[in-house]
Amino acid sequence: MSLSTAQRRLLQEYRNLTNDPPDGITAGPVSEDDMFHWEALIEGPEGTPFEGGIFPAELKFPKDYPLAPPKMTFLGEIFHPNVYTNGVVCISILHPPGDDPNHYEEASERWSPIQSVEKILISVMSMLAEPNDESPANVEAAKMWRERRPEYEQKVRDGVRRMLGL
Amino acid sequence: MNDSTPTNAIDAFENVTDSTDWLSTPLSGLSAVEAALRCQICKDFYRTPMLTSCNHTFCSICIRRALSSDGKCPLCRASDQEMKLRSNWSMEEVVAAFTQARPAVLEFAQKPPTVVTSREQSPKRKLDQYEDINGEHSSSQPSSKRLRSSTRASKSRSIEATAEIARQEADVQQAESPGFEPDDNLVECPICLRRMKVIQVDKHLDTSCPGKPEPESSPSRQPSKASATIPIVFPSSSSSSSSSSFRRQQQPPSKPLERLPALNYSSLKEVQLRKKLTELGISTTGGRQMLERRHREWVTIWNANCDSLRPRRKADLLHDLDVWERTHGTRAPTTSRSATLGAQIKDKDFDGAAWAARHGSSFKDLIASARRNRAQAQEKRNNEQANQKSAVGDKAEENKEDNGGIPEETEIADSDDGEVIDLTDLTDENENRNDVDIAMASSPHKSTVGTIPDTMDLSPGTTVIS
Repeated sequence: MSLSTAQRRLLQEYRNLTNDPPDGITAGPVSEDDMFHWEALIEGPEGTPFEGGIFPAELKFPKDYPLAPPKMTFLGEIFHPNVYTNGVVCISILHPPGDDPNHYEEASERWSPIQSVEKILISVMSMLAEPNDESPANVEAAKMWRERRPEYEQKVRDGVRRMLGL
Repeated sequence: MNDSTPTNAIDAFENVTDSTDWLSTPLSGLSAVEAALRCQICKDFYRTPMLTSCNHTFCSICIRRALSSDGKCPLCRASDQEMKLRSNWSMEEVVAAFTQARPAVLEFAQKPPTVVTSREQSPKRKLDQYEDINGEHSSSQPSSKRLRSSTRASKSRSIEATAEIARQEADVQQAESPGFEPDDNLVECPICLRRMKVIQVDKHLDTSCPGKPEPESSPSRQPSKASATIPIVFPSSSSSSSSSSFRRQQQPPSKPLERLPALNYSSLKEVQLRKKLTELGISTTGGRQMLERRHREWVTIWNANCDSLRPRRKADLLHDLDVWERTHGTRAPTTSRSATLGAQIKDKDFDGAAWAARHGSSFKDLIASARRNRAQAQEKRNNEQANQKSAVGDKAEENKEDNGGIPEETEIADSDDGEVIDLTDLTDENENRNDVDIAMASSPHKSTVGTIPDTMDLSPGTTVIS
């Protein structure tokens, strides 16, 4: 068996997610030829403006995974303070403990090899419910979330509806 | 990885076991047991588990990799050093015992109906009886004394039972596995493994020892066999003495493996580093950065092997390094190759002239195609402007100033060579849109001046800039 450490670990995680998927989350490699490229579907958490939406995202893993974290990008439109307009997700669990120029993130929240795809996706789901406006990736969304909450929620709901083709 | 992965990954997925395998069975509680026997880094069963200073356990190779990249415990982020790692042999025993029992237990758990019918009578009745006893006691709560004494009784009974089982197992070991020291007061020669009396060993070593393991001696007595499989029967808890003799047996008889020290790469010249790698018998290809990374990986693999109760041969370790080489090293595909390419170019010894000569033709092609694209883009823009002017005519007169700024701005974007291709793409796309807009503008309905700025916003220059 000449799989690399990263490939074995990703297989292991894939197995785990297939056997016991967390609520509202599905994830797996796009094709079995390339374990380093996954796609995930995340349900919008209930009781939030994202409710009812299903958000596709892609995960790209580095060769030295799990020493380094993967990159996560939403594939569809998503209006959220912690998601760049190009879809790239910006949360502490995806940041290696080394670089933290703003010192706003607790080391304990950062990436560590013991984290997993499952934990990332669960964190992202809770991020949808509770944005962190200390480190906005989308400043406009963060401002709107802070100052004009109803407008923000309406915009998110409109986005969900557009995505569902309603 | 490209060549080997596809089939392997699919096959491997079928063979991957996980603690969640138990969840769909009646023994779902074993999921937590199994999860506790798995390393949090690789998520696989512990292989050569090691304790950190903060008392967390990881596979030797996992924690060594993590520490050499970060210097912190992945679980609690306390600082730690590889030197301070200690073996967690009890954990290794538990894992070996569990993984050995796992397939049978899982099968048992996954097919409960057949099992129940075949063994319906005896165990089930026993279970019922047991429950009855328990029920009786719990119903008669006040007599807690009696409960305690009876549990003690049942405990001692179960101890007797385990002891009996252990005795039987120990017998089996002695009979079936020659890997355990027979109780004959003889010892093995550390080199040829022949058995003899203790006092004979010195003389034997000086005179008659052939210098290598005797071919006729039972192969299972040689430590190398251990690398292949998990030992047949693991000693049960009561026979700890035999388990320690088993451990001793697994140590290589003659040369104990020595751990490699970490190198301070910054104080080494590249030539010295290359020499080190040659001495270790590993590849010296690639730039300086690659040499360091390869050396670091080799030290990790090697030292993790030293921790192992059943060290593997160097050839196996070299194979591991080879796998690493294909995914992270010089033979890695795509991204990492471009990284090494970058390192190559930054290298002090980089021969710029030779590189230019070797890649001269492709450079020329790139320049030519960039020039062509640029010329085409320019031409298109000129045509468009001419069209716009003629189509929009006097109506656009007041917007001409905005329009006039566009070519200059695009020129700026254009001068950045990397942008050339993107720019043409954009121009193509926008050209179509412009056609529509221009058609609208010149339609018999005579659009108002107000619509014209809209068409202007879509012109290529402004789009690119924004």
